Amino acid sequence: MSDRRDALTKLFSAKGAKVDTNRGEAYYEALMNRMSARLQSLETSNLAMKSSIERALDAQGLTRRDFMKWASAMCAMLMLPSQFTPLVAQAATLMNRVPVIWIELQDCAGNSEAILRSDAPTIDELILDVLSLEFNETIMAAAGHQAEEHLEEAMKTFKGKYLCVVEGAVPIGAGREWCTIGAKGETFEEHLKRVAKDSAAVVAVGTCATFGGVPAASPNPTGAVGVQDVVRGKPIINIPACPANPANITGTILHFVLTGQIPELDHLNRPKFAFGYRIHDNCERRAHFDAGEFVEEWGDEGAKNNFCLYKMGCKGPMTFNNCSIVRYNEAVNWPIGSGHGCIGCSEPQFWDKYATERPLADSRIKAPTGGVEKSVDEFGLGLLTAAGIGIAIHAVASASAAKVESEEA
Amino acid sequence: MAYKKVKRMSLFMRINHWVVAICMVAAIATGLYIGHPYYQTLIADLAVDKYVMAWNRWIHFMAAIIFDVSSIVVAYLYFFSRFEKAYKKLIPNGENIKEFGDVLVNLMTLNRVKKFDSTHADSFNAVFFFIFHLMLLWMLLTGLQLYVHAFPHGESSIGAWWPTMLHLATDWTVWITGGTYMDVRISHHNTMYWIIAWVMFHIYYQVWRTLFWQEGDINIVVGGSKFVKEDKEKSN
Repeated sequence: MSDRRDALTKLFSAKGAKVDTNRGEAYYEALMNRMSARLQSLETSNLAMKSSIERALDAQGLTRRDFMKWASAMCAMLMLPSQFTPLVAQAATLMNRVPVIWIELQDCAGNSEAILRSDAPTIDELILDVLSLEFNETIMAAAGHQAEEHLEEAMKTFKGKYLCVVEGAVPIGAGREWCTIGAKGETFEEHLKRVAKDSAAVVAVGTCATFGGVPAASPNPTGAVGVQDVVRGKPIINIPACPANPANITGTILHFVLTGQIPELDHLNRPKFAFGYRIHDNCERRAHFDAGEFVEEWGDEGAKNNFCLYKMGCKGPMTFNNCSIVRYNEAVNWPIGSGHGCIGCSEPQFWDKYATERPLADSRIKAPTGGVEKSVDEFGLGLLTAAGIGIAIHAVASASAAKVESEEA
Repeated sequence: MAYKKVKRMSLFMRINHWVVAICMVAAIATGLYIGHPYYQTLIADLAVDKYVMAWNRWIHFMAAIIFDVSSIVVAYLYFFSRFEKAYKKLIPNGENIKEFGDVLVNLMTLNRVKKFDSTHADSFNAVFFFIFHLMLLWMLLTGLQLYVHAFPHGESSIGAWWPTMLHLATDWTVWITGGTYMDVRISHHNTMYWIIAWVMFHIYYQVWRTLFWQEGDINIVVGGSKFVKEDKEKSN
């Protein structure tokens, strides 16, 4: 009950996704001083990781110029004035001094994969490569007791300083015992709570970690929830989407490196710099929506002409994310660009309520009463039929048997 | 036997009624298109010449705003109307509950039992219309919540106060419908069917009353008055 009350309070105090991008010179001057001081102290701290961004860029044949181009784009994405570009670049080179513990829970490792598997890594991905990744189940060599020891050591060494990045949902229902990790058989919930306890902040990456995602889809056999429903008393940043865009992960971590604080968040704890945009408003097919030009079926004339995908179930009008601007894989493409509608993967309960691949009026979404799957229109038509039959019966009965007021009455 | 003419709706109230009726038809026709574009636009035309979805949305929002404003006027009339202050018939006191029951019995017994004064708006009517107004209020709140999504930047043509106010006034509908924007849409869509069902009964009942009560009820919303038998008025 108190959870629901919290949610209600939060909703009533929602400020929208607006970020004030002009706060006056005094504000930015103070911010710059604070950031410089923070970066300086980071610079003098011990290296947590030997690899550096310079070396990583070099290995990929990327020049300093490419790096600075990236830094100015990132500066704009974080909604900072352009004089912050050198600081952003400096912060990127200091990323190897911020310890990160990356844990995996109920997930497909898709967010890690999105970062690791590109054939030509973007600078965002390289930055995440040189992060001082102290622990990551997917890519580390250690296993079993050795891995456990490694985790213990990292948590002790960087107590209160490390970022706890979480990928995957947390099972807390009747099926939670199916999901254990490590040689001690810790449940995912215990594992997360233990690692999150001594962290500086928790970053939930991907929709599973933020809202439960696919594991939480109906009937949710393991009672999966997001990190924010389990971890209390820690700053939590949600970076949903399936997979989360590496640019948004880098931006959030960079913000933390720069300021030591978490970025401005919306009512779902998502950074406003990334989730303050509606897909629909920045979509390249928006003009076709307004014109009423829709793809009616896959491969038809409309599809060939890049018409709007609304009738194929695109949920861009109800989804908040910056993929229509930032796109994926170094802005090469994104789902709508490649001809498939948005499935709303950065919104809560997306698998049940957004990813229906049909427009709202055709979606077979679970009725609020639960149980039978029924679309609203079928229900509505049923209701109207029932009302019509009721009226018809009454009308026929009235016509044959009702008393008509007469003059003599 | 003589009939007496009773004035029931002022010219303004009648105009208001028909404005609402037209708005509702417009909102349903365009709303169904927005939920599922059910007719094709000509592919040969340029996008800029068609603007079909945009017109549908424009009409939908315009109808909604006119609807909302007229509903606010009706809400005012609930308390301050010169004719019938509807709120007095909504208070669940013994008298009103009895009247509600009597009107329902009249409908169910096909006008064989009629134990109430049909000169003025009765409790049954007042409750029936109150349900309608609650549904309209719900459509207003959910509709505005869906509408405010178009202002993620927090600005509008009439200033930043408008989206801010909409967030404050309607964000709770997300929580109450199930936590996602889709739930708000489903609820908005679903409520439309309840409103159509309401309208079906409304039209049927007005015609039915006119046919069987023989008091010219249908004229209330056209000419503004109905007729009651004088001796009957005395006896009730």
